[in-house]
Amino acid sequence: MATAMLRRALPRASALSRFTRARAHASEAEAQQVEQKARASTSLKTFSIYRWTPENPTKPELQDYQIDLKDCGPMVLDALIKIKNEVDPTLTFRRSCREGICGSCAMNIDGCNGLACLTKIESGSSASTITPLPHMFVIKDLVVDMTNFYNQYKSIEPWLKRKNPPETKGKEVLQSKKDRAKLDGMYECILCACCSTSCPSYWWNPESYLGPAALLHANRWISDSRDEYTQERLDAINDEFKLYRCHTILNCARACPKGLNPGKQIAHIKGLQLSGPSTV
Amino acid sequence: MALRAAILRHVRVPVKTLTLTGRKSQPWGPNGASLRFLSSHGDDHLSKDEVIERVLSVIKSFPKVDPSQVTPDVHFQKDLGLDSLDNVEIVMALEEEFKLEIPDKEADKIDSSNLAIEYIYNHPMAG
Amino acid sequence: MGASSSPKLSGMQKQVLSLYRGFLRAARSKSAEDRHKIESIVSGEFRRNSKQVDRKNFLYIEYLLRRGQKQLDQLKSPDTVGLSSLNVSVSETIDPKP
Repeated sequence: MATAMLRRALPRASALSRFTRARAHASEAEAQQVEQKARASTSLKTFSIYRWTPENPTKPELQDYQIDLKDCGPMVLDALIKIKNEVDPTLTFRRSCREGICGSCAMNIDGCNGLACLTKIESGSSASTITPLPHMFVIKDLVVDMTNFYNQYKSIEPWLKRKNPPETKGKEVLQSKKDRAKLDGMYECILCACCSTSCPSYWWNPESYLGPAALLHANRWISDSRDEYTQERLDAINDEFKLYRCHTILNCARACPKGLNPGKQIAHIKGLQLSGPSTV
Repeated sequence: MALRAAILRHVRVPVKTLTLTGRKSQPWGPNGASLRFLSSHGDDHLSKDEVIERVLSVIKSFPKVDPSQVTPDVHFQKDLGLDSLDNVEIVMALEEEFKLEIPDKEADKIDSSNLAIEYIYNHPMAG
Repeated sequence: MGASSSPKLSGMQKQVLSLYRGFLRAARSKSAEDRHKIESIVSGEFRRNSKQVDRKNFLYIEYLLRRGQKQLDQLKSPDTVGLSSLNVSVSETIDPKP
């Protein structure tokens, strides 16, 4: 690995020097343009992006990249892809659908959690800062370790659980339109983790508190008319830490890129805990 | 270019550092099995002499150790020049020899022959 | 990490040793040949890092601990029979433009 690490440093360094050269160029050109013609031909924007790699494990730092917005798509993800393609191929981030349905590109953009593909580039401000989801372990650059988050989702058993077979053998378990509508505001969740990682309670107790995303999904199954383990589900999370670390700070609702309100769903669970038959 | 750290990288390690295999060639290795089987039922507890002898024998067979330096109160790191990883390997070898599982908290404390002997002698399941 | 005469272990050192112990335990459950191989790879990795990694680079050591723990979890599965590793080096031809 020593050799790998040393060699690794080379392309990175050259990418950096290329980058600084490009910048010097750009500012020269800019100065000329201001004098001569309209400034409309370029519109430069700086992105300060969090960098850390285990290949060269020094302190994490913000690296600046300048992008011409005239030559770039409108979303933050467009800028990231442009940087990766044209400036620095070592920049690492997750992305897939680029239309807000996969939840891969969740990150912290100018202090707010969101999906890079759904967040417009602010053209007014001089620079944007992009960092990984807060309070998560970084694997590399903007890529964070989601293990704990996924395990918590798994712990609420996110699948239909039945005690009785379906009414017609071999057929689906049916549901009325009205019952189906109860799942609105929950089934849309794409598990991007924007909500959980914006929640101060989750920051302090990331292992023991399930967090808004997992609790929203817990409520999704509790509310499902076809599920026959409602009480068991309620009992499983009726816990000082798993559920009751929610103090209705509601950062979750602010952060959700799908416009959902996990805090409301958590309140619903808390309500059921009071009225449930097995509570004392 | 696609270098992935996901798989453990392997720097070829010379065979002589494969410490835990030394135990296989020890004469009491195979015989010990039947002995352990009996004593795990708790009929007869190991005598202190036997514990001492077998502990020292395990330590002596550790490849980085000079057998002539091994005494009942030798300190692994101070006297034998081992590091903390070697220490772990020795304790693990002792675990196997006496059919024990030593919890981390205890294992971290065992850093000399003396402590190892005491721990194993006082352990009800040692066989 | 592998300091020769530091009797008092830090919490992080204990975590590292515990992970090492975990790997050696997991190796016991594999075939003799694979066990041998696992021990050799794991011991090589730990010893190399104990020399190369700055003992105060906590961020990196924690990263390695988490990565190791994940690999250990995989190794523990009865479906995993052995462990192998690649040593990848970066090709010199990737620098696109001069």
